[in-house]
Amino acid sequence: MRSLATVVALGLALVLTLLMFGLPVADSLRLLGEGAFGDKFGISRTLAKATPLLLTGLGMVIAWRAGMYNIGGEGQLIVGAVGGAAVAAALMGKVVGPVLNPLILAAAMAAGALWSGFAGWLQVARGVPAVISTILLNFVAIQLLAWSVQGPLRRSEGGLPQTAPLPADTMLLKFDRQLDLHFGIVIAVIAVLLVTAFLYGTRSGFRLRLVGASSTAARANRIPSERVAIGSMMLSGALCGLAGGVEYTGITGMLGTGFPQGWGFLAIPVALLGGLHPLGVLLSGLYFGALFAGSENLARFSTGGTTLIYVIQAAAVLAVVALAPRAKPAKVKEAAA
Amino acid sequence: MTPILRLREVSKAYGPTVALNRVSIEFAPNEVHAVLGENGAGKSTLMNVIAGFVAPDSGEGTLRDQPLPFGRPFEARRRGIAMVHQHFALVPAFSAAENLSLANLRSAWQTHRPDRDAGSSLDLAEQLGWKVEPDRLTEDLPVGVQQRLEILKALSSDAEVVIFDEPTAVLTPDEVEDLFRVIRELKDRGRTIILIAHKLSEVMAIADRVTVLRRGAFVATAPIADVDADQLATWMVGEVPGTRTPISASFKPGLSVTDLHVRGGRGEHAVRGVSFAIGKGEIFGIGGVDGNGQVELAEALAQVRPSAAGSIYLTGCDLEEANIAYIPQDRQSDGLALSMSIRDNLLITGHRRRELTRGPFLRRGAIERWTRDLVDRFQIKVGSVRDPASSLSGGNQQKVVVARSLDVVPELLVAVNPTRGLDVRATDYVHSQIVAAADAGAVVALFSTDLDELAALAHRTMFLSRGLLTDHLVGGDA
Repeated sequence: MRSLATVVALGLALVLTLLMFGLPVADSLRLLGEGAFGDKFGISRTLAKATPLLLTGLGMVIAWRAGMYNIGGEGQLIVGAVGGAAVAAALMGKVVGPVLNPLILAAAMAAGALWSGFAGWLQVARGVPAVISTILLNFVAIQLLAWSVQGPLRRSEGGLPQTAPLPADTMLLKFDRQLDLHFGIVIAVIAVLLVTAFLYGTRSGFRLRLVGASSTAARANRIPSERVAIGSMMLSGALCGLAGGVEYTGITGMLGTGFPQGWGFLAIPVALLGGLHPLGVLLSGLYFGALFAGSENLARFSTGGTTLIYVIQAAAVLAVVALAPRAKPAKVKEAAA
Repeated sequence: MTPILRLREVSKAYGPTVALNRVSIEFAPNEVHAVLGENGAGKSTLMNVIAGFVAPDSGEGTLRDQPLPFGRPFEARRRGIAMVHQHFALVPAFSAAENLSLANLRSAWQTHRPDRDAGSSLDLAEQLGWKVEPDRLTEDLPVGVQQRLEILKALSSDAEVVIFDEPTAVLTPDEVEDLFRVIRELKDRGRTIILIAHKLSEVMAIADRVTVLRRGAFVATAPIADVDADQLATWMVGEVPGTRTPISASFKPGLSVTDLHVRGGRGEHAVRGVSFAIGKGEIFGIGGVDGNGQVELAEALAQVRPSAAGSIYLTGCDLEEANIAYIPQDRQSDGLALSMSIRDNLLITGHRRRELTRGPFLRRGAIERWTRDLVDRFQIKVGSVRDPASSLSGGNQQKVVVARSLDVVPELLVAVNPTRGLDVRATDYVHSQIVAAADAGAVVALFSTDLDELAALAHRTMFLSRGLLTDHLVGGDA
């Protein structure tokens, strides 16, 4: 019932947005569909766009499920990519590509985890809400990226402030030379399965959900909420950092100030639309990936272009959140004093 | 004396809990009338009925032979009934004058000038001999002064009946004395003062008449001169419970607590040096009025809260490793994660069980069987174990807590008011499980404000008063 309502709401949001832009609905939907699924290029684009959304979306699920409102996916993604690029700069030429690539991804996860772990520590130990600190850390991360590519990580030859491009053997495996699609989608899908198994099949995952559902019940049952909270933030940041590493070694191959594409921000609507459940994120990540791919196609034939996606995303999330069954108001305390 | 305020046969129930059972009571002008009772006796409900905050299920009330406006607090206030709440209704970020002026607002459209609107209250403060600095921020004022603001607010409508809900709970002895002076002065001006209390000494000091409630029912009204503290204590709690079996050496040594100090949530000394021992299989009752350190002591025993000093020692096992079952007082916030499924709520202890886990992983099949078994054994009425715990009734919620705590016999069981808010059947059920755990060899620390419960279950009962254990109910400060 719930998922049917969600699908209907998404469809309505899409149609209303098209109408608002003054676009012919039927033709536009056809163009969107063709762009996303019409041929192997479309499908490849959809999956490539979905990859960072899935990873960052999972990151949001982990943190939010523990009651930590991580808004800093973008910053963690950027810091992850910078961390990866630092390892690449240090080891390029010394280590062969197939070994270097996993090292880059591991460094990206570690950098993202430390970045978000700091925000977690700030909340637990210093009382600074993660909502605030992660937003601010996003700005710091953007500046960190700018400084890195103009300073220590800037490539020696050439004018633009960029890192040196990775050699082809260090990039993630591509399935087809003509396509965007790369091995990152496999990593993302594996991450979906691992996060599902973690949240619902392990003791730590259970504790994480318990702390998020009721910190008081967790405390009364001797579960170290603070450690769980920081851990969830680090795991969340690791996934966002991985997204940065995957974008870096899968698509761009180098970092410049134009690297951030807002995936870390879009992760929040992806996670919310997915009902804060990893399998829901799989669906919503693919849906938004398809919207991106489709609207690029639409943009070639009409005005509006990719702006459309952002409006549709906002409309979709608002529609879904508004349709969600309201939490029952807390029951009046039974005992009368 | 002709009564000014009468209540006849007033009843009020919250779900299965009867808060007031056909209570009749009369209040006269020029009197300080104390209403006494244990927690849950119905005092606050009765006052909320009089002040219009709670509409009773049945019964009637009159003020000067006019029917009381049940359920309409503003109307009650307009007719001259004012209440000084135990928890202050002050805006912390407002100045004293701004808070006082709120009480004088008559209409949303009235222009608001704190200095003018607070004026009459400030004059009154002066008459009562209180210094109130109108420009100080309320949050910076001591609690006693904040209470004065509450009292001034209550008096601003020139109330005939002023209800004080446990006004001394937060005050220092000097402040209490000053409050009593003002109460007497108000009485001399012809007001009716209703004073909710559970400290007998204060009642004896200030009241003209006293009414005792017990478990929602009227027990007695008497002039203060005709009763003594022992009489009141007996009225309040019924007979002081005897012990199920005398203190005996027949229990094997279990828990021993030595000079334990525990701090409360605000750093205050909640438990100030208690020592006791509980044998294996013994149910040790800890009674007393809420807020005397029960929750802090219980949490320290359950290893939820660190102790500030002293020792807790459990024979034969390491306290860190021990299987400690804890049934917290607030089941909805501490006992359960209401939004999680019933299965997940059972897993709160289950995820620590060796037979339900393999390394870091949960064993799905074993957990399914365990969950089904608990639901059957503890007769929890569920639709599906995947439903959220919030869908259960209070009794079944408590059964979830009990089931996951007592499915295997714990080394130590700590239960705090485990049957509060439950109906008779659920209460009997929880009691039988506690007794079964003790009979199987658990050390049981049963905290309860319900003396009948302690009398029925505990082998031995002591009372916690201001963070110290006393071995019997003392008249002066029950």
